[in-house]
Amino acid sequence: MHPATHPTASAPDGRTYRTPLLRRRLLRGMLAAVLTLPLVGMAAACGDDAGSDGKTKISIFWWGGDARAQLTAQALDLYTKKNPDVTFETVWQANQGYFDKLATLTAGGNPPDIFQIDDNYLTEYAARNATLDLKKYQDSGDLDTSKFPPSLLQYGVVDGKLAGLAAGENTQGLVYNKTLLTKNGLPEPTTGMSWEEHIAWAEQVSKKTGVPGTMDASAIDKAFWVWLRQQGKDLYSGNDLGFTVEDVTRWFELWKDARDRGATPTPDVIHEGNATDITKQLVVTGKAGTSWVWVNQMPELKKNTADELGVIAYPGDPSAQWARASMYWSIFRGSKNADLAADVINFLVNDPEAVKLLGTDRGLPSNLDLRRVVSDDTTDEAMKQSIAVETELAETFGDAPQVPIKGHSKVRAELIKAAENAQYGRVTPAEAAAQFVEACKAAIAS
Amino acid sequence: MALTTAPDPTRRGTGSVRPDANRRGTGRIRHGEGLAGYVFLSPWLVGLMGITAIPMLLSLYLSFTNYDILTPLSEVEWIGLANYERMFTSDPSWWHSVRVTLSFALIAVPLKLAAALGVALLLNRAWRGVGLFRGLFYLPSLLGGSVALAIVWVNMFNREGAFNSFLALFGIQGKPWVNDPDWALETLMVLAIWQFGAPMVIFLAGLKQVPTELYEAASVDGAGRFRQFVNVTLPMLSPVIFFNLVLETINGFQGFTAAFVLSNGTGGPVDSTLMYTLNLYITGFTDLEMGYASAMAWVFLIAIAIITAIFFSTGRFWVHYSDGEDR
Repeated sequence: MHPATHPTASAPDGRTYRTPLLRRRLLRGMLAAVLTLPLVGMAAACGDDAGSDGKTKISIFWWGGDARAQLTAQALDLYTKKNPDVTFETVWQANQGYFDKLATLTAGGNPPDIFQIDDNYLTEYAARNATLDLKKYQDSGDLDTSKFPPSLLQYGVVDGKLAGLAAGENTQGLVYNKTLLTKNGLPEPTTGMSWEEHIAWAEQVSKKTGVPGTMDASAIDKAFWVWLRQQGKDLYSGNDLGFTVEDVTRWFELWKDARDRGATPTPDVIHEGNATDITKQLVVTGKAGTSWVWVNQMPELKKNTADELGVIAYPGDPSAQWARASMYWSIFRGSKNADLAADVINFLVNDPEAVKLLGTDRGLPSNLDLRRVVSDDTTDEAMKQSIAVETELAETFGDAPQVPIKGHSKVRAELIKAAENAQYGRVTPAEAAAQFVEACKAAIAS
Repeated sequence: MALTTAPDPTRRGTGSVRPDANRRGTGRIRHGEGLAGYVFLSPWLVGLMGITAIPMLLSLYLSFTNYDILTPLSEVEWIGLANYERMFTSDPSWWHSVRVTLSFALIAVPLKLAAALGVALLLNRAWRGVGLFRGLFYLPSLLGGSVALAIVWVNMFNREGAFNSFLALFGIQGKPWVNDPDWALETLMVLAIWQFGAPMVIFLAGLKQVPTELYEAASVDGAGRFRQFVNVTLPMLSPVIFFNLVLETINGFQGFTAAFVLSNGTGGPVDSTLMYTLNLYITGFTDLEMGYASAMAWVFLIAIAIITAIFFSTGRFWVHYSDGEDR
């Protein structure tokens, strides 16, 4: 670093000039900075969707694996073929981190026109007005929902607004390792077994095979939810919790008993299984005899194991299960291409060719007519299996519950935390239940 | 920097008091370079303003609001100190993350520095191939906060991981380290300590600066190895120790990547790896409470500033600048 000026050199008269000069230089510097700003802005603007050639680019964002990406791209290509003026900017990624990214995109003012969302987040987005109310397209007929099961359609309604249109239907499915059972001469579990019977069965499996019979479901919200409905309760009632500390205690105790009897893996393995990643489900990693998943995940699970898998309803009365929208298509409220986006969604759920392409990857097709076509046509064994089970369960489906309320994603995280705390034996089921309910109240209050 | 070197117009007009042709020449060129300088500087200025300064100020503002990411900024509500109040009075997970972070930093940072200093002392000898070892020990730090490394770590310290296979050689039954709430944080500490390369290199440089005559004088006075280390090496190295301590403490508090990867972004098992920054991330991006997360970030910033200030104020009691008299 050079010394700025010689202190001896003309300091007195120099000072009188220095200030204005400094200011001018500073101003000039700022000017330079300001001049470059638009450049940066322009560079960013180049990525905008308004094509100059009369074409419109619709951005669309979903989570899923390679298979889903391929199928979706094919369906969208089909749309472009029929509507050459519309092209797509597709972005997809794994489930983990998807909603972080979606939130960031939204905050950055650059959200996709169409995005995939599920019931864990639908209300979070709808309550904050991030989703467009699709009712007007439904009313105008641009969005044809006449072939949808009414309860499935209703499961996308938040505060009287159609926040998302079901991209498919699924329901809870208990997946078990068939190969393991047949090899050891054990009976397969059946729909309608009580929870106690299920745990007794799992205990048998553990003893005979050395592989823990069943994954511990205490941290799994969808299992807890089904169990609650079987007790005449629900996860939510209005804007409040639909259960009490006593309910949670009984749920946690049920599974403590299962762990004590050796029906489940050790807590660290259960912890692995609590990750949402399909490839980490214990039934495919061979660390447990069952996994608690969604029926439409069967084909994806099948890809990750050489063993044969079976799928049934969760234990207890199967009428506690309902036709759940496995995921929705939603349109961002501020989308400039909302009308077109609605047409694309309509195409994805109602066009025979597109629906056939997409198959049951996002769940059974929402359009009942096309659902029949797809189930008749499919050759994929795992897909056939999941369709068969869902169709069978559909006969006993109970009413759909209300869509989970704002704060639900936090509630799920708290359930895992509390249940694991009990699994590791750090607290009693009652303590864990109290901790969970308190945390839930805070989560849904904010 | 450029501002202070502004040439003096008086001097140019009247000729400088000290006739120095060279200086005047560069002065004139500098004048023309001024604008160019700013132009060249502008990407950095834009970056500073756009990526650091403005977002920081915005987050300060947001920390007093209920901003939730999804709502447009124009619609956020000013809620005063409510976020800060909630943090200190009614958020057990905030306090928990403070505890986790403090225990992480209190254990990992001193051990990391000790490891760095120990290895630096070993590598400060003129052994054959010492350069190779320096490189090897520095290697883990090059991999820094990488996600890949964290994934490797998780697999190594699993129930079926390499570490347990190693323990099994000695008949020791290992634990599912990363999946055990009592050990997950410790596993992360070991990872942090293992990456001691950066402070080690700085220690090495510091050790090279210690004049050998001090050791010679000490050994003439009959000081053994240990006395030499305590009475010569440590005091002479204290500025470097201080530098490393400050830097690594700040680093330790900001640990994020490994905890995020190990816990799938949840801070689990049972919040055992819920580092402050991870909690902040979850609050902002998963729970969508960005206003509250901003408040957390500002408390964090102030806390780190205070800790650093404490280090600086205690520094005068133990940091020895040998050239202090010269300045």
